[in-house]
Amino acid sequence: MKTALSRRHALGLVAAAATLRVAAPARAASAGDARAFVSSFGQQLIAIVNSDHSLADKKVAILPLLQEHVDMDAMGRYCLGRYWRVATPEQQTRFLALFHQILVNSITDKIGDYRGVTFTIGNVASSGPDQAVDTVISRPEQPAFNAQWIVSFSSGKPMVVDVMAEGPSLRLTTRQDYASFLGRHNGSIDALLHALDHQVEAHASPAP
Amino acid sequence: MRAVTGSNLQPSRSCTPARRPRRITRLFAGLGLAALAGCAAPPPKDPDALAEYREANDPYESLNRKMYDLSMTLDKYSMRPVAKAYVWAVPYRVRQSLGNMVQTMNEPVVFFNDVGAGRPRRAGDAFVRWCINMVAGVGGLVDVAKYAGYPHHDNDAGLTLATWGVPSGPYLFMPMLGPSSIRDGIGYGIDTGLQPFNYVPRGYGLLTFNWAYNIMGMINGRADHLDALDQLQKDALDPYATIRSAYQQQRKAQAEAIRNDHRATVPDWYN
Repeated sequence: MKTALSRRHALGLVAAAATLRVAAPARAASAGDARAFVSSFGQQLIAIVNSDHSLADKKVAILPLLQEHVDMDAMGRYCLGRYWRVATPEQQTRFLALFHQILVNSITDKIGDYRGVTFTIGNVASSGPDQAVDTVISRPEQPAFNAQWIVSFSSGKPMVVDVMAEGPSLRLTTRQDYASFLGRHNGSIDALLHALDHQVEAHASPAP
Repeated sequence: MRAVTGSNLQPSRSCTPARRPRRITRLFAGLGLAALAGCAAPPPKDPDALAEYREANDPYESLNRKMYDLSMTLDKYSMRPVAKAYVWAVPYRVRQSLGNMVQTMNEPVVFFNDVGAGRPRRAGDAFVRWCINMVAGVGGLVDVAKYAGYPHHDNDAGLTLATWGVPSGPYLFMPMLGPSSIRDGIGYGIDTGLQPFNYVPRGYGLLTFNWAYNIMGMINGRADHLDALDQLQKDALDPYATIRSAYQQQRKAQAEAIRNDHRATVPDWYN
């Protein structure tokens, strides 16, 4: 009996040790992977921003880059919140298409018109199941700003699921923006889509 | 305020200068508090809507929106054009130096609040920043302390109260002061009291300096957020709600940063 128990304990210990050996490098690897992922994504983004192309061309180049590195559909669903469930499949598809464009506009609004944008990567820390990668983005003759990129590995490959700029979360702020808008328009998804359409059009036309 | 896509919108305290003419502040604060009574909207009954209502923490939304509209209209015809002219006329480096000076002058307030929050290391950093920048930084115009390893950190009485566990209370939009809350509004009053400049005997020269400093700080602060506020107005469907959300998140993040700062008081020089 004593031997059996010992054997069971020994087997348990071996299993636990094996789990730890697997889990610890996985955790370490994901922090390193998140850093490498943000570094690669950031460099590609900055290369487009710092190029001599027009703003419209930059937007065209940025969209596929974002689609590859940012889980835009998941962000869109989160931003629509409880209204996602009541939207028709057509409305959902239209919303996601507009949302992709809005994310591109948000980035180009912030850094698109500058040349000589640089970024540095700071700490990487766990944020729940995800990794949070700190970066400082510097634009010429503008105050530098801190952006924290939340990278998720849940889909099997690293994807940005949120950006925290100086504290506020992009996802949460947008969700509360949309929720407030919908609340003031009787929850009409069509009104939201119409407003988003306008927003995208306003970005396409040159500023007055 | 910044609106990084969503988010870099910093309806932050940093967008409001450290100190402002106090009479105007008191007047607006008094009017605001008087108007609050009886303005709270009843909570919605739908569970999802109720959850959103609680998350927004804005029972005085109707009044706050009026204050927001008023502030934005005034800003459009006063501060924004002035700030644009200032950016056009004053080189970036000069603007940056003036921003440094405003920050250094506010360092004593940060120091007292760090002490109040029970964070001696942060208090030490604020104290050293003030000493270095006032001397080596020529009255705060150059942020030498940052290069010496003492970067600026935020603190104010609203955050100190938050670290003591005081809840924020309902959201408030203060006319011309921007986003706030009951707690942060009280904190603003405490910070005015903590500013040593307000206790220096008021000779004519100091009075002139005080006005110049306040007005310059206000214009400089607005100029720093020109692009961000413009982007916010363009990108958000409901700029009022976006500012509210970003402000509440930012204040929460700032309070968390203070709570989680457990650095030792004595620098670890010998390891």
